[in-house]
Amino acid sequence: MNVPTDNILEIDSIEVVYDNVISALHDVSLTVPRGKVVALLGGNGAGKSTTLKAISTMLASEKGKVTKGTITYDGTPVKGQTPAEMVGLGMVQVLEGRRCFGHLTVEENIIAGAYSRRLSKAEMRNELEKIYGYFNRLRDKRKSQAGYTSGGEQQMVAVARAMMAKPRMLLLDEPSMGLAPQLVAEIFRIVTELNQNEGVSILLAEQNTNVALRNADYGYIIETGHVMLHGTAESLLNDDSVRDLYLGISKEGRKNFRDVLRQESAVHPDLHHG
Amino acid sequence: MTEFLFFIEVVVAGLLAGTMYSLVALGFVLIYKASSTFNFAQGAMVFFAVLAFVGFMELGLPFVVAFFVTILLMGLVGFCTERLVLKPLRTQSEDTLLMATIGLGFVLEGLAQATWGVEVRRLDLGIGDFPIQWIIDSTGLFISALDLTAGFVAAFLIIALALLFKYTKMGLGLRAVADDPGAASSIGIPLGNIMLLVWTAAGIVALVAGMMWGARAGVQFALVDLALKALPVLIIGGFSSIPGAIIGGLIIGATEKVLEVYVGPYFGGAIEGWAPYVMAILFLLWRPEGLFGEKIIRRV
Ligand SMILES: Nc1ncnc2c1ncn2[C@@H]1O[C@H](COP(=O)(O)OP(=O)(O)O)[C@@H](O)[C@H]1O
Ligand SMILES: [Mg+2]
Repeated sequence: MNVPTDNILEIDSIEVVYDNVISALHDVSLTVPRGKVVALLGGNGAGKSTTLKAISTMLASEKGKVTKGTITYDGTPVKGQTPAEMVGLGMVQVLEGRRCFGHLTVEENIIAGAYSRRLSKAEMRNELEKIYGYFNRLRDKRKSQAGYTSGGEQQMVAVARAMMAKPRMLLLDEPSMGLAPQLVAEIFRIVTELNQNEGVSILLAEQNTNVALRNADYGYIIETGHVMLHGTAESLLNDDSVRDLYLGISKEGRKNFRDVLRQESAVHPDLHHG
Repeated sequence: MTEFLFFIEVVVAGLLAGTMYSLVALGFVLIYKASSTFNFAQGAMVFFAVLAFVGFMELGLPFVVAFFVTILLMGLVGFCTERLVLKPLRTQSEDTLLMATIGLGFVLEGLAQATWGVEVRRLDLGIGDFPIQWIIDSTGLFISALDLTAGFVAAFLIIALALLFKYTKMGLGLRAVADDPGAASSIGIPLGNIMLLVWTAAGIVALVAGMMWGARAGVQFALVDLALKALPVLIIGGFSSIPGAIIGGLIIGATEKVLEVYVGPYFGGAIEGWAPYVMAILFLLWRPEGLFGEKIIRRV
């Protein structure tokens, strides 16, 4: 690297195609500054998961391909690595829908997260203790079969498991999905702690715009594979069109983002249209 | 009383033979758990492995050396299967993989016969197929030394594999892949290595089963059909359950012997060949998920 960059992740206008024909992302660019939390927002089918899987290289196993643009993780071009190699580089994705190993115990799930590392028994104990320090609930459940724990606990297992790989960058796909508000709050509190204490950079895909922006530094809104708008979390929270469309504050029905942008006359200084 | 003793003898011989079915079924279960594929090549692997072993012995290699060279060879077969067949097909449907394993079976059978010829080989493990004197003296039961050895070897291997999966890192990786390959890969578990482990373990199982069966009836093509008796075992035990494979093998082994001895004469004998399949079909009607068919845990 000639120019030292403070972005741990840079995505430059990528296009993603599934099965050689189905185009899922058209033009997505985004950056994650080192040590920050960035939210990737959008409704169902907008392309959030596809973006995360392009970064973690999990796309390949679903017959998806990045056909244009570049992804740079910490100075390294992401191209053709296996997911295991990405984990080795410190990039771990928590997949949508938690995906715990149902027949394994909670603790076995968490230990499996350290598969890419060589740890002695004592080191493993230390790491587990540290993780249970963040995820207190899991300590009592550690002998339970993961498949029989609650949705919130499974989400915690999934994040705890990912943290055991000692990531520098974490990709979280809809951690709030299907969870009661107080559980969502608990999970986001832990995610914020992990970001601040462990220094892990986070890219967070969410449909729950409100919660995500309250816990993020910066946000991107995507629709049908295009970035529509991006800005600091605060500016997005205060933006009228975002409030209208994604925060459910407007009394009118939901509109399409394109329509809103067309009507919008005032230009916010810290908002950028994609 | 002698009637009863004879019945016990039949059951014990059946259970001991059944441990071999358990072992071969375990080979199927491993691959099924790791790749959701029914490995139709397992029967061919039994034949291929033991024929290779006999072939190496004929070349003058000592027993132990031939044994380990064959294990290496089976590891290589597993490696090639994983890299050349399964990996390119990983994103394809499970049916495609099933077809691929059927094809692999034919390739292995052909390769084995092309390399080592088609005639039946004798395999002498130095263990006779005759009753053990001290067992006769102490219990009055006539138990074959070969049956007993096979039973112990199978039990030992099953326990060793179970411990490996429960307590080693590789074993944890395998169980993780069995539950959710996508999630396993997302946390850095290399699917390829796990598959290699599974195929090598299945190869070892195949070799041992082939040696035990080959020692009794000769090393021949019929071993493929014998190994396919793991199919009724799996229908009874459940395709993804290790305890199911073990218990299923014992049930098939014991009942087929009892049926052979007490019912067989009415059918003109030799019902061992098909009785397990009839049992499996009856079982399917009663309990399609198998005795130990694992409850599918729903993701919340
Ligand atoms: N494996 C796949 N094969 C084909 N199309 C897919 C696949 N996964 C996602 N898509 C399509 O790509 C688009 C984006 O999906 P996705 O990234 O999952 O959206 P989001 O995570 O925002 O809900 C959708 O139109 C979806 O139908
Ligand atoms: Mg999604």
